[in-house]
Amino acid sequence: MTTNQMAIEVEGLQKSFGQVHALRGLDLHVPVGQVTGFLGPNGSGKTTTIRILLGLLRADGGRASLLGGDPWSDAVRLHKDIAYVPGDVSLWPNLTGGEAIDILVRLSGPLDPKRKQAMLERFELDPTKKARTYSKGNRQKVALVAALASNAQLLLLDEPTSGLDPLMEAAFTESIREVKAQGRSVLLSSHIFAEVEKLADEVAIIREGVTVETGTMAQLRHLTRTQVTVVLDGGVDGIAALPGVHDLATTDGHITFAVDEAELPGVLAAVAARNPRSIVANPPSLEELFLRHYGDELAALGAGSEK
Amino acid sequence: MTATVAAPTGAPARVRPSSDSLAGLGTMVRLVVRRNRVRFSVWFLVLVVMYQYIVSYYKTVFPTQQSLDEFANVANTPGIKALTGLSPAANTMGGAVWTKGWMTIVVTLALVVVFLTTRNGRADEEVGRTELLRSRMLGVHAYSAASWLVNAVLCLAVGVFIALVSIGGNLDPAGTGITGSLILGASITGIGLVGLGVGAVAGQVATTSRGANSLASSVIVVFYVLRMAGDLGNGVLTWFSPIGWGQHMQPYAGNHWWPFALLVVFAALLLGVAYWLEGTRDFGAGLVAEKAGKAGSPARFASPLGLALRLQRNPIIGWTIAVVLGGMMFGSVVQAMTNLLKDAGPGANDLLRGEGVDALLALLLSVMALITVIFALQTTVSLRSDEASGIIEPQLAGAVSRWTWSLQRLVIPAVWSAVLLVVGGYLVGAVYGASIHDASQGGRLAIAALAYWPAVMVFVGLAVLLWGYVPRLAIPITWGVMAAMWFLTMFGEVFRLPQWFLNALPLSATPYLPLESMSWTPLVVMALIAGALTWIGIDRFARRDVQPA
Repeated sequence: MTTNQMAIEVEGLQKSFGQVHALRGLDLHVPVGQVTGFLGPNGSGKTTTIRILLGLLRADGGRASLLGGDPWSDAVRLHKDIAYVPGDVSLWPNLTGGEAIDILVRLSGPLDPKRKQAMLERFELDPTKKARTYSKGNRQKVALVAALASNAQLLLLDEPTSGLDPLMEAAFTESIREVKAQGRSVLLSSHIFAEVEKLADEVAIIREGVTVETGTMAQLRHLTRTQVTVVLDGGVDGIAALPGVHDLATTDGHITFAVDEAELPGVLAAVAARNPRSIVANPPSLEELFLRHYGDELAALGAGSEK
Repeated sequence: MTATVAAPTGAPARVRPSSDSLAGLGTMVRLVVRRNRVRFSVWFLVLVVMYQYIVSYYKTVFPTQQSLDEFANVANTPGIKALTGLSPAANTMGGAVWTKGWMTIVVTLALVVVFLTTRNGRADEEVGRTELLRSRMLGVHAYSAASWLVNAVLCLAVGVFIALVSIGGNLDPAGTGITGSLILGASITGIGLVGLGVGAVAGQVATTSRGANSLASSVIVVFYVLRMAGDLGNGVLTWFSPIGWGQHMQPYAGNHWWPFALLVVFAALLLGVAYWLEGTRDFGAGLVAEKAGKAGSPARFASPLGLALRLQRNPIIGWTIAVVLGGMMFGSVVQAMTNLLKDAGPGANDLLRGEGVDALLALLLSVMALITVIFALQTTVSLRSDEASGIIEPQLAGAVSRWTWSLQRLVIPAVWSAVLLVVGGYLVGAVYGASIHDASQGGRLAIAALAYWPAVMVFVGLAVLLWGYVPRLAIPITWGVMAAMWFLTMFGEVFRLPQWFLNALPLSATPYLPLESMSWTPLVVMALIAGALTWIGIDRFARRDVQPA
């Protein structure tokens, strides 16, 4: 059955808070054993989606299925196999970090002390300190350790590395790769493009409560343009007029332009005919993909300059 | 990505299987106990030991039936009826102790349970701890139910142990067994449970812990005032208050069990409503949706005072309404109470520290002063709250010195306390004056009430001093001092404290206007003390680290 291959399946999800339409038909799919990146500007509905998936909010319309169950009515049963890390972790000030981890892990199953210890060491967290003395990064580590020390089949991570230093981000990356290698699934909501690019098999980009783009990194790159920088002995004449070339500019002899993926062979042939001394071609980064779907303004500016 | 089997189509499911809703209850009970073990133990001990102390003290003060008869005679005043209620069996040892301690115990227990319920309910939901818990295998009601359960055990334990204390103290009149003591314990437990219900519902209705606490404690205060008005009048209003139901259990006198059933049923009803609300609402939501606010703020919010006035608008308005209503209510009962006093005999006058209507007016003004102290302290400890939550940091990062920030913030307790005193005093006088056609009463009592201002400022100064030197403990100690002062005023004689000490408490040191004549010396001394405490406190704050919670 296909349901067995999807850890999360969301279609046409809707949610309003009073007059505010937070979600207006959102789609999201997380295949089992894969990491799906979840990108969107602030306020686009990422956290609302995750809270619906956790059964904390009830959707107004659409369909959401989590590990084959209903996130609202089967919440408790499903949570046995789910671990969640919020972007802003709040803890009980007079309990220690270690106590908080135990409470969270034990709610979903038995505690594996070795695993907890391993994660504490990996994230260099002192579990004997009271939570009130933790910095934001250390509170974040508590939630990460609690999530990673469990056996959850699906990890819901809402900007999980906010407040972590680069070393800890590396520890996080390592942990997620292990999770994936064990065949577990991850929904990774993040603003750090490099992190998502490194980890995610598929990406969903949402905006104002609607999914605007989904697919693997390779699929998404096809939809956009390669950035090319060349130095030409043969002169720039005629390049700008080639089909698929956009935003051509010349600075200090360096010619830069963007090429539609489909037109790349023709454009490269034309460049080769003009005796290139150097050529650098970059595939579009996730950030560029993201910005393209973010900014009406950016898109409008780009369209204007082409004409 | 095509067919799905398990997921329903169309509108999402509305119901959750009830079998799940309490999953994780045991873990949550342990969490609630672990988090609050000190609070639970302290409040349990305070309430039970207080009752035990009153019992042993009254046994030494009233050794004979004759002395108890005298007490019953002396206590039969509107003041006692209004503040603590009067036992119909005030001439028995049990009734005397009840008159002294019962009201304090039940109101304290109800408020304690309200605050503890919010602490483990809405407060955790507001900051997101409950979200973390609920992402695990935790039923939607498990955390609330655990908190209610543990708080109910506290109510039960307080009731049972106060009953045991009473049985041990032989409070029951001869020939009645231990029924009175059992009734007494049940009445305390019952009102505690109602407090629990009120707190639970408030935690579902309000979206913030502050809102939940304000709502629930206002309801408890309304219960208290309703029975006060009822006890002073024809008694009808008393029946609208669960505290009144508890009074009607009449331990050692009527010994009625049935109002206990009323209390338990009402508490269960409230908890049922809270349970239902929790099951249907979204996480983080209350009954009232957030409204959109203004897109910008006026320039005055840039100053610490301007911002504080905006942020503390609700307490300022709320306490002003309380003082206005209180002043009018007090003023309206003066005439009736004076008539009652004339019938009560000489004993009543001892309690009022004097004779006639002026003694009663002076008592009422001192109550207004007490209310003003609560307002002043609430607005003063907000300096520490701002520091604890860290929102002081962006303010101090601006071009504002710590002195400027502190002094501007203290303008609110300083100025508005004076306003509250004048308004409260004026209204007591004006309403009373209207009943005896004497227009001069308003102005006279407004000035008399204003004499409490230096005393109020001493409390403010003390709070500032504590904030400067022991920031982390400042808020609990400040309220502790407030509670202790109130406690000493009520029970000072019980603890055999020397009279000079009781007289030196700020409110007692203020001339007892209009009964006593005006005396400037204590007012000037207290104003100087208040100024010095404030100065030392701010000076310390200006030199020390900012210490978030």
